[in-house]
Amino acid sequence: MLKRLRIISSDLRSSWVLLLLVATLIISIPLLIILGGFFSEGGEIWNHILKNLVPAYVINTFLLMLGVAALTFILGVSTSWVVTMYRFPARRFFEWALILPIALPAYISGFTWAGILDYTSPVYVFLRNNFGIDTGQYLFFDVLSLPGAIIIFSLALYPYVYLITRAYFLKQSKVLFEVTASLGLGPWQSFRRVALPMARPAIVAGISLALMEVLNDYGLVRYFGVDTFTTGIFNAWFAFGNLNAAIKLSVYLMVFVLALILLERYQRGNMRFDMGIGSGQINAKSLSSRQSVSAIIILSIPFLLGFLLPFIMMLYWATLVFDDVLTTAFWNLLRNSFVLASLAAVTVVVFAVFIAYTVRTYPQRFVIMAARFSTLGYALPGAVVAIGILVAFLWLEGQMAALSGPGIRIALLGTWFALIYAYLVRFMAIGYNSIESGNERVSVNLDQASRSLGASKLKTLLSVNLPLIKGSVLAAALLVFIDVLKELPLTLILRPFSFDTLAIKAFEYASDERLAEAAPAAVIIVLTGFIPVYLLNKMMGRGNI
Amino acid sequence: MIVLQANNLSKRYPGSQIKAVTDFFLEVRKGEILALLGESGCGKTTVLRMISGFEIPDTGELHIDGKLISANGFFTEPEKRGVGIVFQDYALFPHKTVAENVGFGLFRLDKTQKQGRISEVLELTGLTGFEKRYPHQLSGGQRQRVALARALAPNPGLILFDEPFSNIDTVLKNQIREDIREIINKSGTTAIFVTHDTKDVLAIADRAVVMKDGKTLQIDTPGNLYSKPANRYVAAFFGKTNFITAKPVKNGFEATIGFIAAENAACLDKPVLTLSIRPESFQIVEPNNSAAIKGRILSQKFFGEYTELIVEVLSSEKPENITVHLKPGHQHPGAECWFEVDEVGISILGI
Repeated sequence: MLKRLRIISSDLRSSWVLLLLVATLIISIPLLIILGGFFSEGGEIWNHILKNLVPAYVINTFLLMLGVAALTFILGVSTSWVVTMYRFPARRFFEWALILPIALPAYISGFTWAGILDYTSPVYVFLRNNFGIDTGQYLFFDVLSLPGAIIIFSLALYPYVYLITRAYFLKQSKVLFEVTASLGLGPWQSFRRVALPMARPAIVAGISLALMEVLNDYGLVRYFGVDTFTTGIFNAWFAFGNLNAAIKLSVYLMVFVLALILLERYQRGNMRFDMGIGSGQINAKSLSSRQSVSAIIILSIPFLLGFLLPFIMMLYWATLVFDDVLTTAFWNLLRNSFVLASLAAVTVVVFAVFIAYTVRTYPQRFVIMAARFSTLGYALPGAVVAIGILVAFLWLEGQMAALSGPGIRIALLGTWFALIYAYLVRFMAIGYNSIESGNERVSVNLDQASRSLGASKLKTLLSVNLPLIKGSVLAAALLVFIDVLKELPLTLILRPFSFDTLAIKAFEYASDERLAEAAPAAVIIVLTGFIPVYLLNKMMGRGNI
Repeated sequence: MIVLQANNLSKRYPGSQIKAVTDFFLEVRKGEILALLGESGCGKTTVLRMISGFEIPDTGELHIDGKLISANGFFTEPEKRGVGIVFQDYALFPHKTVAENVGFGLFRLDKTQKQGRISEVLELTGLTGFEKRYPHQLSGGQRQRVALARALAPNPGLILFDEPFSNIDTVLKNQIREDIREIINKSGTTAIFVTHDTKDVLAIADRAVVMKDGKTLQIDTPGNLYSKPANRYVAAFFGKTNFITAKPVKNGFEATIGFIAAENAACLDKPVLTLSIRPESFQIVEPNNSAAIKGRILSQKFFGEYTELIVEVLSSEKPENITVHLKPGHQHPGAECWFEVDEVGISILGI
């Protein structure tokens, strides 16, 4: 113990490690505050919320998770299986087309579908006038409901399951299926009794990611009128003005997040399946033309409903309002969003590069732990991060006001600084994971060679490490940029007064039932969302997932 | 002049029960080529990393050119040690040309000086004309020379090699060993290299440290390590040998395989000891000689420059076999012969 302390204290003398600890602390403040909220007194409003609203939040959140888990399982596993195991025309196309729905944030897909199924939508009008189909205010069923939300979420999030499961199926040994066939198992039995149980860790990991997104969401559940913890947090803060209640709700939401993480860990357990020897790529089985048609139909459903139809609808709306919307105000909006997202991307990348390099230079356990800790913000729903920062900055503003005397107020809340800080907390993991995977491909000997030639750590970072991982740095910046661009709950809570982003504007227009006007902003978000799809598809081609 | 002095270095990695290096002492003289020799996991690479500054010793001190660079609570960063390293994978910067790689450590020189030094080192390593190439455009041997040139460029007092010959084809090994030895000697620097191959040591090292389980077994010249090994491990590490139990008597040893003549054997005040006798120290002699080792040839194998015989010793009390290397001749399995041992090939082992 003493010895370990001695080792740690000797490393602390390095300014790099000290800086890393400071950075980690800064990044984890919101998390620590929310965890601290567990012990705080709730107050009267909280008691009211706890008694009258929380039961509904719990039930709704639980049902949403259950429904999305089931549906993303069906969509993700079936599509990845068909695409991996069979050969048919258009297979290459579907391999990447099935990822596309991920470019559509759930809230955008949500209000677009509401528009498509609405009484006045061109689709409904056409069906009503020509076929006499009339199912009330919405075509088929009331989409603005819990089941509707489950379907929209699943269509937007199944690609997580598809991507991870497919990567797993691709790594399977073909010998395995030759063995099951020799043991007399048909294709369906091989799938159910061997492939599926083997892919379980991958499938559950994919579903967990999807459910994290569900817990993070505010836009879709608000638009669909499904009350969950995120809408509760917004009500507590914006309607009741009660921060305590918002913290308490955040704590409750974190319980769900934590349960999800633990469940995922638990099911994974110590499972590390050997892929078997001779793990050559699976020979995809050619399908007859009739089978090919059914395969294509199966794969088309998630692609059409999750991406193509809503995207076409959006484009159509965008053309309707083209002239009205593309004004100076819109260009300002665009610039705001892009500048904000770029700043956030640069900030995250700077922190991520620094932390990853420090871990590389001092690979001690406590340094690695600290770096990991700084990435935990990704598990926090955006609204929770925002509330944590709200609490921290209110306290800090109070302290500074007390110090600087009356009359002078130093504002932190409602500034770009608060927003960028929040994005740093929330998206650190994205930046860090990308940079770290870049680092893993560069031999540490290069750093040591540089140091042995007299270069300092900083010079080594700048002239050896950074040039060699610039691809990863760029990817990290892009991913963060896109995530910030479509981010909604956190931005809504922390944005400066009357400051809008593309995501907020799209959401506000949609909330005012001005769907067509929401479309241009939504289209831009979706278009930038293609970039990670492209990157994912490329990485998958190299088998890097 | 002593370039490197290591006193009592020890290192245990976190989470490991045993020490990677224990009580390591070493002095390296200027211009010397020293080898750290042992099987993988013996601690030789850890010693190298402690000298270069990428591993902090738990105990002990390190001096370079008489200057303290590492002691309990004191540690000089690798970039301030002036120690060059040639990595096993060469670790050339893939985004820099040969000239940029070699010039990387010369940032204290002005442009003309830097250019001059780069050409100088490239010429020394036979790489003139390759300045503008990138590492991926070079062969393995050329990459190694670039790595060496890069390490030599800032004129380090000490240069470290991590397994310099393990990635090289056997056919080319001898030539490359010679080349590297020549470059080191010409540059006037001092070198320490890590290897698991005794052939590397015999070919180019002035002295070698044999390590096992973190402990130093013997520090000596290659010739002495071969002919005067300190213990069974070193003796066996450097080639085939026969371990024979013997009692020192007047004018020789009363060994289990028979009498072995040796002067001064009686000075040893141990009742029983173990001898290591290299196979080539045995000679066949006429039966009427004073030699007392009689054997029957069990098998023979032809190795080109010598023939290896497995001989059953008939003169011993218990059944015992010895390995004998002779010039290819007319020995046949089944033949009985008398053997004599050349005193020079005998070494007395400690434990």
